[in-house]
Amino acid sequence: MFFAISTIAIAGGIGTVITPNVVYAALFLLLSLLAVAGIYILIFSPFLALVQILIYGGAVIVVVLFALMLTRQSGEAGNLDSRQKPIAFVAGSGMLAVLIATVLKNSWPDPVDRQVVGLTELGSELFTRWAVPFELASLLLLVALIGAIVLARPSDKRPGDNS
Amino acid sequence: MGIEWAWLLPALCGGAFASILFLGRYTPLRGAPIAIASIATCFALFWFFMSDVVTDGGRSFERFWFEAGDISISLGMTIDELALVMIGLVTTVSLAVQIYSLGYMRGDPRFGWFFAMMSLFAASMLGLVLVDNLLVFYVLWELIGLCSYLLIGFYSERRSAAEAAKKAFIVTRIGDVALLIGILVLFTATGTFEMSEIFAQADAGEISKSNLNLSAALIFIGIAGKAAQFPFHVWLPDAMEGPSPVSALIHAATLVVAGIYFLARLSPMLVHTPGVLDSVAAVGLVTAFVGAFLALTQNDLKRVLAYSTMSQLGLMVLAMGSLSFGAGIFHLLTHGFFKALLFLGAGTVMHAMNGELDMRKMGGLRRVMPITYVLFLLGSFSLIGLFPMSGFFSKDEILVGVLDERNGWLVAAGLAASGMTALYVVRMVLMVFLGESRSEEARNAHEATPTMLAPMAALGLPTVGLGVLALNWGNFGGFAEFLHLPPGGSHEYKIVPEIFWPSLVISYGLLILGWRMYYRRSRLTPSIVESRYPRLYAFAANKFYLDDLYQWIVNNVVLVVSRSIALFDQRVVNDKGVDGPGKFTAFVGRTLRYHETGVIGTYILTIAVTATLAILIMVAVN
Amino acid sequence: MIGLEHILVVSSILFSLGVFGVLARRNAIMILLALELMLNAVNINLIAFAVYLDPDLIVGIIFAIFVTTVAAAEVGLAMAFILRLYRSRSSVNVDEVNLMRW
Repeated sequence: MFFAISTIAIAGGIGTVITPNVVYAALFLLLSLLAVAGIYILIFSPFLALVQILIYGGAVIVVVLFALMLTRQSGEAGNLDSRQKPIAFVAGSGMLAVLIATVLKNSWPDPVDRQVVGLTELGSELFTRWAVPFELASLLLLVALIGAIVLARPSDKRPGDNS
Repeated sequence: MGIEWAWLLPALCGGAFASILFLGRYTPLRGAPIAIASIATCFALFWFFMSDVVTDGGRSFERFWFEAGDISISLGMTIDELALVMIGLVTTVSLAVQIYSLGYMRGDPRFGWFFAMMSLFAASMLGLVLVDNLLVFYVLWELIGLCSYLLIGFYSERRSAAEAAKKAFIVTRIGDVALLIGILVLFTATGTFEMSEIFAQADAGEISKSNLNLSAALIFIGIAGKAAQFPFHVWLPDAMEGPSPVSALIHAATLVVAGIYFLARLSPMLVHTPGVLDSVAAVGLVTAFVGAFLALTQNDLKRVLAYSTMSQLGLMVLAMGSLSFGAGIFHLLTHGFFKALLFLGAGTVMHAMNGELDMRKMGGLRRVMPITYVLFLLGSFSLIGLFPMSGFFSKDEILVGVLDERNGWLVAAGLAASGMTALYVVRMVLMVFLGESRSEEARNAHEATPTMLAPMAALGLPTVGLGVLALNWGNFGGFAEFLHLPPGGSHEYKIVPEIFWPSLVISYGLLILGWRMYYRRSRLTPSIVESRYPRLYAFAANKFYLDDLYQWIVNNVVLVVSRSIALFDQRVVNDKGVDGPGKFTAFVGRTLRYHETGVIGTYILTIAVTATLAILIMVAVN
Repeated sequence: MIGLEHILVVSSILFSLGVFGVLARRNAIMILLALELMLNAVNINLIAFAVYLDPDLIVGIIFAIFVTTVAAAEVGLAMAFILRLYRSRSSVNVDEVNLMRW
């Protein structure tokens, strides 16, 4: 089960970084993220899977698609890949090699017997022990919100207007 | 007022210096009265101190200075007969010269500064003779050199004056370095700067012969510089660029004799270094000769007197080198008075002649300035050493001492130098005062003001009368006995017929000879010597070409070396050393900036690669 | 049971794919997508370690929640940037943005 889902995730990832079509790339990412959500369910974190689907699938992808729409470039047929693709390939595979080597070299302990984490338990933890980071995170979101609005505002400068 | 107040002497003059410097412009006559008041007070104090020393003898006082570990440097004053004599000389001549300067320097824009310098000089000189600490002595020695430099170059608008001041300072500097090294050698050998301590150690034989001789030799080189001994004498004639009062005080009576005083002060140590003393005597004799010789060919009045001073200093050094320290000091004393008198007289003449000093343009001044003439004559007679002037007695004592310690040949040489002295003095007097006036200025000359004449007259008294001090009558055993400087034994004055009569004959005889030689030739014609031996005459007239030699050395050796060092400093130290790192940094910056491509892709690539490498290294280390 | 190393391998693969994507893409938005991929891989790692090694699974989940939150915020802001960029240069090609070169 796990292998199937992880295969889908990896396939989605490959698709994202390979395809020359921007929209397809976004959709491949969506696929990958959903597969990741599935992985979460498999390792006793259903809540996180829900969060994942909601946020990423719901919000992030939509925003990305919007942005894609707004930044349509004329002559889109051009290659999406940068000049340094070969080097990137090398770098990426290097990193992969190192990471996998690290992973396989070590001996990992056996898994502990786990239960699914309850929602109420999660909630109470979040609001007691992790209350401060929670508040900070909301502050962060506020800042990002305001920031995005400010940045994306059209700069309306008419001659003779000092705004 | 006992001699424990002796520190007042330099303090008063130093205070006068400071006051004139800061408050001079608010006082009438720009602070000159302050200077004169201070030096007059010092003069008065001298008499008190003299009575104290005569009754109770000399004493030392100590004022503790500082201590660092086991080195303690203390400062004190020693007032014995020697110091007393020097104090007397300095205060008297300073007072006379300062009063004289009221008239001489009148109208000069830097009138106040002149008196400030005079006060500073008096303070330094008085301090010099009081201290018993070699280090402080050296500081004061330098200070008097500084005053000399400033006062020689007093007329700073004149290029020649500035050059002369520089020359004086540089030449004496060479000596000063040797002096310092000598003092330091002594310090390392004895561990103290205190003279009394050093003398005790020397007497006890605790200082090695080599150290004693080395330090004595070095110290003498230093003294030779300031005392214008051959070959360091070249600065003294040029120093005549300064005002005449300066020449009188500094370059006749006090600064140039500071070294002679120092030799006497060091006499307890010098008795242990006979080898060095041989050289000292030799240098003194040569100087006496060369000075007299050169004086014969000079046409500038003050320069004749300068070379004369050099010659007389040579005699004093000769005395010191022959262990006749007392005789040398006595000659120092008499010379101080009559030479100062002569210089003041020369100043008067110069004033009257509107600044002209060329003797060929003078003549017949006897008629227009009779008082100056008489006083100048008295001084001249003393210089020649005619009996019964003071100069006779002091010169006689020197010759006696030389005979005792050394041999008759040196005495003969000394007498020869005296003979030459007579010749040039007569020439000088004749050309200036007698005969016909040879120029317009000479005809229109006028006598000096009373302010200038009175001090000269005051100096005339010791010139004539001081000779009595040499004799022994009653309890007073004669001057040298009074000083009781080493070596031990009686220093009573005695008349040695072998010296007395020849000296008398020579001085009077050559006086008459000179008269005859020069009287006929008081017109503007070259002398017999000049026409018969032109090259010799030129050699002498150009001061043996020593100045040119020194200038050549400076040009080709000193300046070359300094230029190459400057080049090294510029090229290596500055361009490579100092600018080097800066330029290198700029170079590195210029080269490395290309990695800022501005494209995000390269930056992220760098990060990714570095991260991979980091993980790799971490894994490999573990 | 699935071993920890299996999950770690998967997340490593996803991460490397993300790295490749970030480096190899020209369009800014593509880069962002690959970045999301990387963040997800990190999240998987977190949870995996929390599940297998930590007695307290909660902490891992909460950590992962926060990571996701920040990622979402970051995407929002990044989009605003890209819109800005597009407006001034009519292109979102990162290769051409090199005003900060030497």
